[in-house]
Amino acid sequence: METLRGIVDNINYIGALTLFVIGLYTVLTHANLLKKVIGINIMETSIFLFFVSTGYVRLADSPIIDPNKANQIFVNPLPSALILTGIVVALSVTVYSLSLIIKIYEEYGTIDLNEIMEMRGNLSDG
Amino acid sequence: MVNEHFPIYMLAILLVNAAIFSAFTKLSFRFLKRVVVVNLLLIWIMGVSLFVKVVRDGAFRYNFGDWHQAVGVQFYVDELAVFMMMFILTLSNLIIIYSLKDIEHEIESKQFARYYTLVFLMIFSMLGLTFSNDMFNMFIFMEILSIASCSIISIKNSKGSTLASFRYLILNTLGSLSVLMGIALIYMVTGQLNMNEIHGEISVIWKYYPTNIMMALAFIIIGFGTKAAIFPLHIWLPDAHSVAPTPSSALLSGIVVKVYIFAIIKLLFRVIGVEIVGELGIPTAIAYLAAIGTILGSIFAIAQKDIKRMLAYSSVAQIGYIFLGVGLATKAGLEFAMFHIVSHGLIKTALFLSAGAIIYQTEKRDIRKLDGIAYEMPATMMVFAIAALGMIGIPGTSGFMSKIFLGSVVLQEGKAFYLFIIILSSFLNAFYYMPIITSAFMKSDSEAKVVNDKIPRRMVVPMVIVIFLSIAIGFYPQLITEIIEIAVDSLL
Repeated sequence: METLRGIVDNINYIGALTLFVIGLYTVLTHANLLKKVIGINIMETSIFLFFVSTGYVRLADSPIIDPNKANQIFVNPLPSALILTGIVVALSVTVYSLSLIIKIYEEYGTIDLNEIMEMRGNLSDG
Repeated sequence: MVNEHFPIYMLAILLVNAAIFSAFTKLSFRFLKRVVVVNLLLIWIMGVSLFVKVVRDGAFRYNFGDWHQAVGVQFYVDELAVFMMMFILTLSNLIIIYSLKDIEHEIESKQFARYYTLVFLMIFSMLGLTFSNDMFNMFIFMEILSIASCSIISIKNSKGSTLASFRYLILNTLGSLSVLMGIALIYMVTGQLNMNEIHGEISVIWKYYPTNIMMALAFIIIGFGTKAAIFPLHIWLPDAHSVAPTPSSALLSGIVVKVYIFAIIKLLFRVIGVEIVGELGIPTAIAYLAAIGTILGSIFAIAQKDIKRMLAYSSVAQIGYIFLGVGLATKAGLEFAMFHIVSHGLIKTALFLSAGAIIYQTEKRDIRKLDGIAYEMPATMMVFAIAALGMIGIPGTSGFMSKIFLGSVVLQEGKAFYLFIIILSSFLNAFYYMPIITSAFMKSDSEAKVVNDKIPRRMVVPMVIVIFLSIAIGFYPQLITEIIEIAVDSLL
């Protein structure tokens, strides 16, 4: 029962770490370049979830002062603010990597890393 | 005259210039060159005056918008940061002056303005990374730096460079994400992002959350280690550094990697603190990896045929030396790390620039085809030879001073095993640098070659200045060791 309660209480963190591992697995095992970028995106999302979760306070209000309430508790707004910046960074990385994939496709005619490596191997032999 | 806003002015000038270059891509290259040189000179002069101010009056903190450091972004301009700043500015200025001529030969003419946009963004983010005293701010600068340094490779528009750049980008992003995860874990237990505040908190709470801090450190070191090419995470480096345009290779190998190493030093010793890091056994692990890296990097370098690829693998070995200094986790070890950052920066830049000059004139990249090349281009090969001797550690160059410095440090620590590694690695260095020097100077084809140096003076002068600085430090190491001593004092 205790374990179950622990899991339910920390479901955000567990979910974030699971997503992180799924993303990492995708990046490392798939030869398709697009899937690698998707994997990176999953990892980014997982970290954003993790970061935002650190600011969560149970039963707290959003950080706006309400004059009618005494002893208000607020959630921590800082992580959410940081993650807004983080999303912008993630976007720019995604855009840049997608544009590189387009270039790679124009050059090799494929976005499968194994096939590209084979082509490069043939090039250096001949 | 010099005031505390100078770091911001420098960053602002760099950023505004980058924006202007990217907006006016149609400007003539002659005009662009002048703008670049004038601005770089201005930044450098500001840097020197900031350096003098900090050395004279001591470190200062700059809070953006006067927010308190617990909630705002902060720059901490201390001796260590200004020392690193001078290193970045001086070396990148010399490389950029070289690049003004060489780049015409490397990339398409419509890309020139974009290239300098990226270079300015790179210097901008490196300076930001050096000054920043806020973890999240550091992450942002790091991301700007990684995107700029990837695009500076892919700008060449050749088949290999796009793929190398993509690989570099993926690994770089994995590294950044892992650093961000580490920052999140630290934020989770400390509730702070400012480095000094974290240090204050962490020394109290680390006994309660050792797993958390251990995991955070593992994430951060793996992340930065990927970017700084510490041994098992170096796989992207040879590709990325060898296919980039030569000035970019020099920038990436000489400076960018060093900035990441500097960030690791700052994180381990300023944020977490040497006691905790030592207790968790992290320095020992770094030192072992570094020792393996110094040997294997050199062994890989021996097998290379392409001159720039060989230099890139040699960087892996030399980064191992720097991490060895970090891994000793003592004052002397860190002083060595800072010294070797400068020393290797100068020598590797000289090597890349002279290799670039050889490619500029002869289009030869294969080290087996360099027979008698010294007859053709004596100045370039002299620079290459002196720098290569510096890598091996011949007295009179800064490379020798680094090696004797590291040797005495490991003996003081009573770790003679590392001395053996250093000597072995020096032999291996000699093994792949000496054949190039001997074949370039001794062997020659049947017809006697005449001096036929078509390298423009604007490319030769920066190379000669770089190698001259290396020799000057080789003879008078106290030129930089004095300031390094003061700087490292503030760290431990």
